[in-house]
Amino acid sequence: MSKYAITVTRLSKSFKLPTERSWGLKQAIFNRLKGIKGYEKQEVLKDISFKIEKGEFLGIVGRNGSGKSTLLKLLSGIYTADSGKIKVNGSLVPFIELGVGFNPELTGKENIYLNGAMLGFSNKEMDAMFDEIIDFAELRPFVHQKLKNYSSGMQVRLAFSIAIRAKGDILILDEVLAVGDAAFQEKCNDYFKQMKKNKNQTIILVTHDMENVKKFCSRAILLENGKIIADGKPKKIAEQYLGLF
Amino acid sequence: MFGILYLVFSVFLRFGSDIPHYPVYLLVGTVLWNFFTECTNQGIQSLIQRGDLLRKLSFPKWIVVVSATSTALINLSINLIVVVIFALISGCSVSLLWLLVLPLVAELYFLALGIAFLLGSINVRYRDISSIWEVLTQALFYAVPIIYPLSMVTSTSMVAAKVLMVNPIAQILQDVREVLITDASTTSWELLGVAGLVPVALVVVVFMIGLLVFKHKSRYFAEEL
Repeated sequence: MSKYAITVTRLSKSFKLPTERSWGLKQAIFNRLKGIKGYEKQEVLKDISFKIEKGEFLGIVGRNGSGKSTLLKLLSGIYTADSGKIKVNGSLVPFIELGVGFNPELTGKENIYLNGAMLGFSNKEMDAMFDEIIDFAELRPFVHQKLKNYSSGMQVRLAFSIAIRAKGDILILDEVLAVGDAAFQEKCNDYFKQMKKNKNQTIILVTHDMENVKKFCSRAILLENGKIIADGKPKKIAEQYLGLF
Repeated sequence: MFGILYLVFSVFLRFGSDIPHYPVYLLVGTVLWNFFTECTNQGIQSLIQRGDLLRKLSFPKWIVVVSATSTALINLSINLIVVVIFALISGCSVSLLWLLVLPLVAELYFLALGIAFLLGSINVRYRDISSIWEVLTQALFYAVPIIYPLSMVTSTSMVAAKVLMVNPIAQILQDVREVLITDASTTSWELLGVAGLVPVALVVVVFMIGLLVFKHKSRYFAEEL
């Protein structure tokens, strides 16, 4: 077993951004006739390479539009890279957004299993995780209520608990820290600190909150214009990030 | 819908007076056709409808299309039960041949799935494909002997009938009617001979093309949705 959880080599990704209102075949044919390309190429990630060791708590920071979320989506296998390689060692649980695929007509319990299934866990694996998730969310009295009757705070608490209690080797979190009330945030903070110490899960966190980077991360990467411009101690990176503005 | 079709075409226009059990014959046609259109339309739309999932989670994308089309499959199985009840009331003779309906339905499903894969993946970028397909199916409806018996075509032009029967939907439809209801259903085998294999080959080709295009395009669904 290699000591790296994720190895990324020379990764590039570009998007075709439509310049015209051309989401129909009809329009596409007209554009072709007029000789308009109809889109513009934008390079989002340029030739990025890095390695993440097992048990690391990596923070990715950068301005809006610097390519953080694109990088996460590439790591999660949602996007396909133009060139370069991503090697993932172990199971990966991506949370690009909380509560994706939650169905308001189903109960809390059913939603936990549904969400688990979408992340690739079997029912058996979810059985093992279920109690932890529901206890962490502190929603046991409401397990059999329909999700639409939850308050929005309760919904994100449930989603967040699934996210951090999911037993993947690698956990990807995009801006999903600190939900719920003060008490719940406190609990999350403690949990993250513990994870940083235990080092049994690799975590990749995208955030704009430098306090969190300094508190939880063991290493941080600063992205700017699709390139890694700094990689190192969270404290140093946080200062450099704030220096960008 | 079936009731209206029956009244107009069978009672008033006196279609299919040469075919025994014509009402059931007509019913099978509409049931299978509805299945085909529901299957393709749902399948083509499914990727757009489930865009939120595709953009945020990584999972095999074909599941979306298969799950959308399997709803149509469930509806079909309910409808087929109704067909069987009608066939029994109408006095069709029960036989083991009825089991042949299953592979024929499977053939139709694979055809619909292939089309859904192919057009669905194009529809992600060009959103008007689904409306174009809806118009096309309306035209196709009249190219398949659903509301008229094939004998009406053969009596005018053998060539036209042969062209019609190359269409896999027509082949499946006539075969189902043959095994389920009456020998009076002209099948593509009877009409085309060895060339009766062409519709089946078409299904395989459409399905393979659909699958390949889908596989190629699915890598970019997340960014185009």
